[in-house]
Amino acid sequence: MKVGVYICHCGVNIANMVDIPKVVEAISGQTNVAVCKEYQYMCSDPGQNMIRKDIEDMGLDRVVVAACSPRMHEPTFRATVADAGMNPYCFEMANIREQCSWVHEDKEEATQKAIDLVKSSVARASLLEPLQSTEIPVTHSALVIGGGIAGIQAALDIANSGFKTYLVEKEPSIGGRMAQFDKTFPTLDCAACILTPKMVDVARHPNIDLLTYSEVEHIDGSIGNFHVQIKKKPRYVDPDLCTGCGLCAEACRLKGRISSEFDMGIGKRGAIYVPFPQAVPLLYTIDPENCLLLKHGKCGKSPKCEDICDPGAIRFDQEEEHIDIDVGAIVVATGYNEFSPVVKEEYGYGKFKNVMTGLELERIFSPSGPTGGNPIINGTEPKNIVFISCVGSRDKRIGNPYCSRVCCMYIAKQAHLLKEKIPDANITVMYTDMRAFGKGYEEFYERVQKEGIRYRRGNAAEVYEEDDLLFVRAEDTLLGEPYELPADLVVLGTGLVPSPDADSIGQMLHLSRSADKFFLEAHPKLRPVDTVIDGVFLAGAAQGPKDIPDSVAQASGAASHVVNLLVKEKIHAEPIIAEINEDACVGCKTCIVLCPYEAPLYDDEKKVVTINRAVCKGCGSCAAACPSGSIKMNHFKNEQIVAQILEVI
Amino acid sequence: MLNSIHSCMKCGTCTGSCPSGRVVSFRTRQLVEEHCLGEIDLDDIAIWYCTTCYNCMERCPRNIDITDDILRIREEAYKQGKVLPQHKDIMSYIYRTGHAVPINEEIKDLRESLGLSRIPPTTHKFEEALGIVRLLLEEGGFNDK
Repeated sequence: MKVGVYICHCGVNIANMVDIPKVVEAISGQTNVAVCKEYQYMCSDPGQNMIRKDIEDMGLDRVVVAACSPRMHEPTFRATVADAGMNPYCFEMANIREQCSWVHEDKEEATQKAIDLVKSSVARASLLEPLQSTEIPVTHSALVIGGGIAGIQAALDIANSGFKTYLVEKEPSIGGRMAQFDKTFPTLDCAACILTPKMVDVARHPNIDLLTYSEVEHIDGSIGNFHVQIKKKPRYVDPDLCTGCGLCAEACRLKGRISSEFDMGIGKRGAIYVPFPQAVPLLYTIDPENCLLLKHGKCGKSPKCEDICDPGAIRFDQEEEHIDIDVGAIVVATGYNEFSPVVKEEYGYGKFKNVMTGLELERIFSPSGPTGGNPIINGTEPKNIVFISCVGSRDKRIGNPYCSRVCCMYIAKQAHLLKEKIPDANITVMYTDMRAFGKGYEEFYERVQKEGIRYRRGNAAEVYEEDDLLFVRAEDTLLGEPYELPADLVVLGTGLVPSPDADSIGQMLHLSRSADKFFLEAHPKLRPVDTVIDGVFLAGAAQGPKDIPDSVAQASGAASHVVNLLVKEKIHAEPIIAEINEDACVGCKTCIVLCPYEAPLYDDEKKVVTINRAVCKGCGSCAAACPSGSIKMNHFKNEQIVAQILEVI
Repeated sequence: MLNSIHSCMKCGTCTGSCPSGRVVSFRTRQLVEEHCLGEIDLDDIAIWYCTTCYNCMERCPRNIDITDDILRIREEAYKQGKVLPQHKDIMSYIYRTGHAVPINEEIKDLRESLGLSRIPPTTHKFEEALGIVRLLLEEGGFNDK
């Protein structure tokens, strides 16, 4: 056993509080220590070369570097020792910066602690066992969950790289929230004009298998090899025969009598419908909750849709299908829902008919929306309009302390569009703070101000009704005075909350959520598209409120990580995982209950547990809890940890 | 621990929600701001215009204990002897009778008509309790104000 020990100064970070020559003196000559050296920056090229040279010259088989936290540089030094032919798992790091020099004020005591920490690492290093990573084959296909702009972009990017991509969308059409918008800020591009070409690209792409009106039911497996079960809900329409002509929808007895989800309940549809004219795929769908035949078993003498459909595409006997697919990587792009302002009772949403949400107004603006794009609210053109910002955002009282990031700008856009359509309208925006952070946003805000939209700082306190007219109360916080404005339209700048589907998808994939209930990324700055589950990536508003450019950028980022994975024939599986001695296992299943990743599996025949190496993250919960001591954690075996502890007590 | 008022984001929901502020010079957010800056004018009569309806506190998006803070500010004003003549009048009623609104014949009749005893079970009935009320007021510095 030959251990090489290297003490890093980290410039002055360690050297100012730890007497490094004294540490070198104390460690040199310890059992198994073949060499002990110090250097200014061990992570630099000369520092790493020193280690490589010593391994080659002296035949070291264990290396300890005493420096910073292993979080950053353990991978660096593992690669260094592996370069020189040593097993990378025989490398050990002692943290004498974060856990010593940075937190102590007495140099003598800090030096003694550094010596103890290094001795402890040497003792552990002496017991480390060489480990070999195993190779896992990769399935060269991907699953994208959610067909909004983020899912569409991710699917196109992956498919364009040559990989089979399954895009699953629960609604009858892809397009997501963006398809509901009229114009986009700050450029005022028509949302449909820039989105529909991408939707069509998805449908036509030879590498994309588009599964609309479908839901992910079950996922197991792990990075490189996920097994996914998808439920394809019956449309009651044969996709091969439906031409999308729309005669069925015209004929439906319930035409214009069912609230359209796509129009946020303002517009009406029939029981057979497409959510919007540019839907992809352009296939009609029968809503079984409302269809007279499917619900009551009778629709007049015969169903009108069936009568009128020449190609004979109506299929009342269609059943749901279950599709099994194998993929190597998954992108979660489940998006967001609009905050429901019902709980903000003081704004009277649901009570006063002329109080509406931002997304509802978006449908009013849309040329294919319920008013054909005319700004008619409950039959009249509004003249006095008040926008209220931060509804459901920056509000601890209703549990959403975060900023939704898009409301300031969509309010500016909607105010602009209203002014354009109703030039003599009085439009006031009551805002808390203006957040115009994106490219061209501040300029757009100024443009809207110049168009005569009045911005008054201070958020609305309440909305009340008197003689059929609404009044909004607020403080102008710059004047320091309360005031009231009459309004015939109040628009709530509702914020963003995670889609309810995040619950089931999150559970299936064991994804963590941050305090705001959106999916948690692996690192807030440096790994914003990864999750802690290898092979699972995030795109768009599923990870946090985002505007369109940010969603698209993140989707392309997620797609590039997927492609990085799929181009490999095989991936290395981390050997620092739990191993079970099946002869000693009594099959108590304690480990199965504890494991957050479903790595231990019960073998019904042998009545023992086996561990799925590909899924195990090496957290050690099972090994610590196993009553029969059958589970060992590689690299953290009891004797290794005990030796480490004995040196510091 | 910092007082929660320091997390005020100056949205104005409190002032806009204040029923008193619509008719008198009291500006809730201004008082919160002055308290944050340590510049409260305890001589400003406005601090007594809050009706403690708790509208501001219920709606504050940062969950600031605004109304409770106003009560603390008033306590401080009282400790410094900044008491209005009207407060003194009311306190003297309490000192003399144990009630801010002492009973009168009309109320006695009303009580009787509702099937209650003519005299309520308060200091009106238990005169020895009045001594305790006075002791409490004296301990609180009533005679010094």
